[in-house]
Amino acid sequence: MLAMLLYIDPGSGSYLVQMIIAAILGVLFYFKSAWHRVKAFFSKRSQEDKKNSSVNDIDNV
Amino acid sequence: MTSIMSEPILHPASYRDPDGFVFFKDGMLFRQVNQSYAANYQLLTGSGLYDVLVQRNLMVRHAVIEENYTGSTDWFLTLKPEVVPFISFPYEWSFDMLKDAALLTLELNKTAINHGMILKDATGFNVQFQGGSPVFIDTISFEAYDEHLPWKAYRQFCECFLFPLYIAHFQHVDINCILSAQTEGIPVHATAKLLPFKSRFNLGVWMHVYLQNWVGSGSVKETTKPQFSRKKLLQLTENLADIISGLKYENKEPGWGSYYESTILSNAYLREKEIALNEVMTKCSGSTVLDAGANDGYFSMLLAKQFKLVIAADFDSLCVNNMYRRIKDQHINNILPLRIDMVNPSPSIGFANKERASFTERIKVDVLVALALIHHLVLGKNVPLIMVAGYFSVLAPQLVIEFIPESDEKVQQLLKHKSILNNRYNQHDFETAFGSYFSIDGKYQLPDSKRIIYMMKRKLA
Repeated sequence: MLAMLLYIDPGSGSYLVQMIIAAILGVLFYFKSAWHRVKAFFSKRSQEDKKNSSVNDIDNV
Repeated sequence: MTSIMSEPILHPASYRDPDGFVFFKDGMLFRQVNQSYAANYQLLTGSGLYDVLVQRNLMVRHAVIEENYTGSTDWFLTLKPEVVPFISFPYEWSFDMLKDAALLTLELNKTAINHGMILKDATGFNVQFQGGSPVFIDTISFEAYDEHLPWKAYRQFCECFLFPLYIAHFQHVDINCILSAQTEGIPVHATAKLLPFKSRFNLGVWMHVYLQNWVGSGSVKETTKPQFSRKKLLQLTENLADIISGLKYENKEPGWGSYYESTILSNAYLREKEIALNEVMTKCSGSTVLDAGANDGYFSMLLAKQFKLVIAADFDSLCVNNMYRRIKDQHINNILPLRIDMVNPSPSIGFANKERASFTERIKVDVLVALALIHHLVLGKNVPLIMVAGYFSVLAPQLVIEFIPESDEKVQQLLKHKSILNNRYNQHDFETAFGSYFSIDGKYQLPDSKRIIYMMKRKLA
């Protein structure tokens, strides 16, 4: 039925390959955002450390 | 309205899509929308997609005409689209032009998805260049989006845009000739063979070329019903845009890319030529010009100050690409750079050899400018002067042409291995040959280089 509705042929295996690519991209996206969260966590911590150390510096003056 | 109305003439390339077609009537261009597209047309306008696309200059505008000019029973609407000043084809574009057309197509798809529609096809022929940027011309390419399905035009997009760009990027080859023969795009199996081994280690190439080739070859059975989502489709579109944005074309072969910088044809020559050209151009009339052998577009930019449209043609794809990048950076909107070989311009191709008109059939300009070109055609390509003159007279009624004398260093370089042609090329023969088709209205000698710029007008037949 699908073929009747289409005026261009999507190409054999075209839908399947998009499903596989989407799955790969989904996994990559998951790891990418996980990595960003880890990075954000550490950069936040290092910023807090810096902040604390600068406060300590001032205290020491 | 004229009292005598001509019969509509179907555009020879507008036969594929059953939802409508383009036709000419009384010299004007129209698009018929068929009943089968009615619901989609209402979605296109009702969802706000049409307004967004034309406001962002991504698609041409159209006026709606409630008149059935063709008299066909499945008529729904007639559209009168904004006309693009010069129709060019993907095989005449440079790498960056094809890249920008690809990115435009993806942007359209993304915008359409967000409005509940999707592109049902994705060919470069649906894009034209206007005002220095690509613009979409096929208004009826959008259809209602079914979230459960992947993109049916994905394969076509890859073959028409991604694969030629990949081949040029990885192999540093000129893709114009390949695209001229493969107007439907480069098939995935051919792309897999044409790309170098190292490209397999690129995730994008692996997924979109090798994986697609493997899946498409029938090695994997497509048994399950496709299950897709809007998020997945947007991720795929984003991925294609990221890949394409990172591709670039660097021709490793010595070409004409740095002609002016690396030759003796430097500042003094360019300045005297600029002065002469400015003077000659004041004698030319009209609004359109073809700069044949435009190189990097140095003189096209000068012409762009006087003319409404400059078609800057050169056979070197790298030159054309540099020119496109430059006009894009400088926001010059009246130069159209095209990769055209003047001794082998784009032929008429497609069904009945009529679908895509030849360059000669399409080009209708007021002036032809041919600077530092004649010696390449006559001595480089062995085309007799009289044949060049004959062809040039077909292209435009006014001609501005630079004659490079026999003593010139560039001519001597060309004659080095072709001394037999020497007796075919001199100023007297040049004037005689061009005198058969044109009347010489002015001659401007460039004092330092001894080159001469002629202003000619086509003789009435």
